[in-house]
Amino acid sequence: MHESFLRGVVAAALLTPMAASAASDAEIAELRSMLGEMKAEYERRIRALEDRLAKAEREAADAVDTAAASRPISAPVVHAPATSQAAGTGGGLGALSTGSAFNPQISVILDGNYYHDGSGGEGATLVGEAFTPGRAAHVHEGEAESGHSHGGEDGHAHAATENGFNFREAEIAFSATVDPYFDAAMYLAVDGDGNVDLEEGYFQTRNLPYGLKVKGGKFLSDFGYINKQHPHQWDFVDQNLAYLNLLGDHGLQDTGLQVTWLPDLPVYTLFGVEALQGDQEVFGATLGDDEQGELNLGDTKDGPRLWTAFAKLSPDIGENHALQFGLSYAHNTQHQEVHRHEFELEDEGEHEHEGGEEHEEEHMHALLENGLEGDADLWGVDVVYKYDADGAYGKGDVKFQAEYLRSIKDTRINSANVIEEATGEVLGSEAVLIGSTRKFTTDGLYVQAIYGFAPKWTAGLRYDVLGLTNQVSGGESEDFGSSDRWTLDLTWNLSEFSRLRAQYAYNDILVSPDERERFDAFYLQFLMSLGTHGAHTF
Amino acid sequence: MIQRIPLVLVGLLTLAAMRASALDVVATSPSMGALVREVAPRAALTVLAGSNRDLHTLQAKPTMMRALRGADLVVALGAELEVGWLPVAIRSAANPGILPGTNGYFEAAAQVPLLDVGGSADRALGDVHPVGNPHVNMDPLRMATVGRALAERLALIDPAGADGYRRAAEAFAGKVEQRVGGWRGKLAGAPGVVLYHRDAIYLLDRFGVPLLGTIEPIPGVPPTGRQISELTSALKGRPGIVIYAPYQSPQAPKSLATNLGWQAVMLSLEPPQGADGDGYLAHIGRWVDTLAGAK
Repeated sequence: MHESFLRGVVAAALLTPMAASAASDAEIAELRSMLGEMKAEYERRIRALEDRLAKAEREAADAVDTAAASRPISAPVVHAPATSQAAGTGGGLGALSTGSAFNPQISVILDGNYYHDGSGGEGATLVGEAFTPGRAAHVHEGEAESGHSHGGEDGHAHAATENGFNFREAEIAFSATVDPYFDAAMYLAVDGDGNVDLEEGYFQTRNLPYGLKVKGGKFLSDFGYINKQHPHQWDFVDQNLAYLNLLGDHGLQDTGLQVTWLPDLPVYTLFGVEALQGDQEVFGATLGDDEQGELNLGDTKDGPRLWTAFAKLSPDIGENHALQFGLSYAHNTQHQEVHRHEFELEDEGEHEHEGGEEHEEEHMHALLENGLEGDADLWGVDVVYKYDADGAYGKGDVKFQAEYLRSIKDTRINSANVIEEATGEVLGSEAVLIGSTRKFTTDGLYVQAIYGFAPKWTAGLRYDVLGLTNQVSGGESEDFGSSDRWTLDLTWNLSEFSRLRAQYAYNDILVSPDERERFDAFYLQFLMSLGTHGAHTF
Repeated sequence: MIQRIPLVLVGLLTLAAMRASALDVVATSPSMGALVREVAPRAALTVLAGSNRDLHTLQAKPTMMRALRGADLVVALGAELEVGWLPVAIRSAANPGILPGTNGYFEAAAQVPLLDVGGSADRALGDVHPVGNPHVNMDPLRMATVGRALAERLALIDPAGADGYRRAAEAFAGKVEQRVGGWRGKLAGAPGVVLYHRDAIYLLDRFGVPLLGTIEPIPGVPPTGRQISELTSALKGRPGIVIYAPYQSPQAPKSLATNLGWQAVMLSLEPPQGADGDGYLAHIGRWVDTLAGAK
């Protein structure tokens, strides 16, 4: 009733101008006062409506909050605005949607450095190619025609660190809960030349009973301790000699399945096994089809070829201390390598060179090319201790970490071709070698400690050594020396999201059985973390 | 001998039943632990962090995962305070019953209205968390609300004990009510405080104590000498007190206090490790007395 009255008044008010010329001043004054009342009345009603709307919004928000109570609070929160707007205005222009709230968590880590060594910029490459008899890696790295000169280190063209400025990588990480059953994550590494490498891409179960978890996809193995860490998580700029030389640049990073079991025991005990494809750079490498044919090696076997098992034990040693022991084992059912030994052959005149080659000497270069096939075992022992001091910004914190790795490759010589180096022509075969066994054993360890000597500052010291045992046994036995390194670093954690580091290392690297390189290497590194607040596992 | 076997069996079964009936609760901090002790005194409780540790910078460790492995309920402060370690510890604990979104995961900050909500998600402003300030444990009245919500959650997990939990939560709320009047009286006209970080603002907000400034210019970033001298000149001649937590650098608070002729007091944001509800209230009492004693 009230409304129809108001409508009438409004209609009257609108029609009034037409009759205004005839209206008296008194009538105009009356109309003015009526309009004034109407305005006041409308304002009252609008205010009342606004109050009711605000109350409804609050209630709606409270209801959503209560419903969401068991979820963790985390930005961004999307709820009340969308619904209350729609309800309040009776027609939001946009479609109601959760928008970008379902995007995975994204973080980007930028990792670059200035590097200088006393080895003409070769140092960063040399530390990853320390001499081990089971990996004749650096001897013939110049052989472009074979595609991969050794061990199957194909595909991963790494931009080597050179003297001067280097952009090591931008790591892009995505992670999300897929549904009630799975979590998933993906890590991409983009190097300074723009090459993209999939570091990890895996799913992991969320709700299996009995402390079981299954992970599948491409991931970093839980073998050892440092293996599953991405480079930006390391306490030093570069990887230790043992991992670098026994497992390669990427460590045990492979495609397969992992099952872990955390039994409900009074002491933290974790067991795990992994079945992985076995495409490894160093540990259990296989060669290409052509080479396998030439060298009388078997075809690459069906996967999975790489199996791992690990156990971790962490006794409770007090509230601010953490200690963990780990024991790991890995077995690769197939390992192939080719060893090329260069020697000089008397020119017997029975071969003719292609034109254009310079004949400076009458001797010709020949290669003895051994194709070896077998399997590989790897043992690892690790210990980590952390002390969380009550100092500001990590002052007084201590982290101690040590690992020992031992790699044993049991192989048999399947072929021993004598090849003319210039033409690649097969001249003959050293038949006596065929069938003879070669067992390559190389071990290595690192010990490192990090200390928070001031708020936001840490200092680190590392000693790493490769080849305490560095031998070949079987038909031929020989012991080689070891490579080692002392590293000192100073890290400034400006905030949780940025880190600057200076690192000095003194390297003593065995580059071939009778040659050592001793050099200093210096890094200045920056690490920038963009995006989601990171959390790292132990 | 043979007759004893059933007896032993009964004994074992009783033991197993007792073990099953005692809820296994994990609290992230001593204040959350105090609330659990108060509301569910019979629950087997593990507290993950010590009272003088920064909950924001703690790191996940295997013993935490062990504690979470068999837990029926995790009680966290929440709102991203424990973001650096709790999610990863929960994920590694292989216990589907305590994943966020289930009844086994409880966040105090999700039960009460928060302060400092919104703001720009810009890290140039430091380690900001637009979702809100997580330190709700510093407000006793919010803690009473959290206690009631915790009782409801416990009632869902263990319906048999529902009445007990609710009664205990009400009793705790009653204790808080009793003290609030006295605290309000003590803090009326308190001159204010300089904190290191905005971590006690819920207490200040509750009792109307002015926050005169923070030592950190922006969250997570230590002050420069110039910022301290600016703060000094801004506060010169005013009464007040500087309060900082055990894990915050004492130098800047002390030098500011010396400059102003104030006291610099180290107070934990958390009650002692084994505190129950009364221990928590005593802890709030210490803060109130310190704030009231500002000159």
